[in-house]
Amino acid sequence: MAGRTYGYNGVPPSKGKKGLKRYAMVVDLRRCTGCNACTAACKTAYDVPLGDWRIWVMEAETGEFPKTKRHVLPRMCNQCDQPTCVRNCPTKATFKHPDGFVLQRYNRCIGCRTCMVACPYNARHLLTEHRRDKRNPRNVADKCDFCIVRVTRGLAPICVASCTGGAMVFGDINDPKSEVARMVAANKTFTLRPEQGNAPQVYYIGLNEPIADPEFAFHHRSEQLHDRYNTFKKNSELGEELAGNIIDTDTGFFGIARQGLHNMINFIATAPAKFFRGLF
Amino acid sequence: MGATPMDGQMIANAFHHAYWGFPLSLYFWLVGGSAGSFVVSTLGWVFGVKKYKPIAFFASNTAIVMLMIVPMLLITDLGKPFRFFHLLMLPSFTHWSAPMAWGVTFILTYPIGMLFYSYFVYFKNERMARICGIAAIILALCTHWYTGVVMQLNPSRLPNHASVAPILFLTGAYISGIGLLNILLWIRNFFVETKKRVRTSILADMGRLMLYGIVFDLFLLGNEFLQMTYGIGEEHTILYDVLLGPFRWPYLYIEIIWGLVVPLIILAIPRINRSRYWVLAASFMVASGVFGMRVWWVMATQFLQGHF
Repeated sequence: MAGRTYGYNGVPPSKGKKGLKRYAMVVDLRRCTGCNACTAACKTAYDVPLGDWRIWVMEAETGEFPKTKRHVLPRMCNQCDQPTCVRNCPTKATFKHPDGFVLQRYNRCIGCRTCMVACPYNARHLLTEHRRDKRNPRNVADKCDFCIVRVTRGLAPICVASCTGGAMVFGDINDPKSEVARMVAANKTFTLRPEQGNAPQVYYIGLNEPIADPEFAFHHRSEQLHDRYNTFKKNSELGEELAGNIIDTDTGFFGIARQGLHNMINFIATAPAKFFRGLF
Repeated sequence: MGATPMDGQMIANAFHHAYWGFPLSLYFWLVGGSAGSFVVSTLGWVFGVKKYKPIAFFASNTAIVMLMIVPMLLITDLGKPFRFFHLLMLPSFTHWSAPMAWGVTFILTYPIGMLFYSYFVYFKNERMARICGIAAIILALCTHWYTGVVMQLNPSRLPNHASVAPILFLTGAYISGIGLLNILLWIRNFFVETKKRVRTSILADMGRLMLYGIVFDLFLLGNEFLQMTYGIGEEHTILYDVLLGPFRWPYLYIEIIWGLVVPLIILAIPRINRSRYWVLAASFMVASGVFGMRVWWVMATQFLQGHF
């Protein structure tokens, strides 16, 4: 693919280019225990608000008793080489670092959420008004940044550092001597949704394909997960502001009408409070 | 639908919101109504269909009013509303590869074009009205075209990511604009003197224009759904969602049956399609039916992908 670059301020993909760095991650799912240490470490380090995640772990069970198996899949921003979010951002708030990071400039972001709609991995979220520390950015898009503040100081991303099973490996994939490059060379690796053309740079070893399939995730939710999702939608303060959540247990004519009305009333009710946010 | 539950189940995942919701649907609907009204407005002064000349001024002003609500909705929907100026064509900020940046340009220039057009129509300046009308009609089409493109250029959102999307949006705009305009013209009749009232024959002729749009809309939707029956990616899931699942009301009942099929029947029956109240009923159905389309088009994929 010769020099496809997303956007006028885009940085061309650096994977496989001599003299350039391309940070990437390999997640060896054979070693992942699903302990969520990465999730907790990341949440704590970046004050990720309740209900949002920079990294999270999908879990699924397959097979029939007694032959059952638990599959885990840590998910985060794939730091794509061809990021749709960068191409679709109207204010250049999100951009690509020459070393491969896809980063977010909070002071430019207007919170239009076009990047979130564009991302095939659901890797982005809108920061809420209520942060634990008020000095932190609010009401703008946020995402996993491969811990650039740690990486530029010679540390591994915090999820990698906290991984109890040693399943996550981080490094420069353009350097053939790096552990990441060696693991990719020696193992069969998978990426999530490769058909989307984003050239994701988080590689998985031993990926269970059904769990990586959005259709599977939709049709095979457990009842508890289904209920919890609906409860989340009902109770989320941010969801009220975004005014687009549909609870799928109430979708008759009156149900949809009620939900639409409820969402619009919430939108109008939160409008005066949020109007002057940009000033502060 | 895919594998049986025995093949496995998801037991944990992060929860995601639908990032664009009802306000955005309402925005798409209003922009569409505005563009549709303006198309009718230009029929007389730009395309030379004389019988539509008397309603041009009212139709153009209706389009302007509808477009004035739009920025309020859009700006309020931002996470940081006061940062809307980041979008205003500042060279350091605007990212030209983003369809939203194109849209801002159109939303800013389209009402200006309409205002000039209305001004010259009011003073009956034939030549200038024609020039401004041509410019404004191109901007009207572009403004609504871009709303389709904003949804289209999200490769992972399947029914949206189709090249037919902007044309579907434009067709919906055209029919909902005429529908809304018909109702507003009828309401206007109660407030103006007798000689300024719009005759039923004009309403019926606009109903005829709407009929062509309805047929074209059904044709486009038929093509889109014909392709989706192959079930690549999540297409089957989306088909299920809109035919039997949570979006059956916005799509199947409101858009297709209430908004397209029933009006099509009304407007195709010879004597009924000249009757004022039947035409108005069809207009109302079409205008509200297109809102159903905006709802499922914006939210169905976000609902589905929220689970991944």
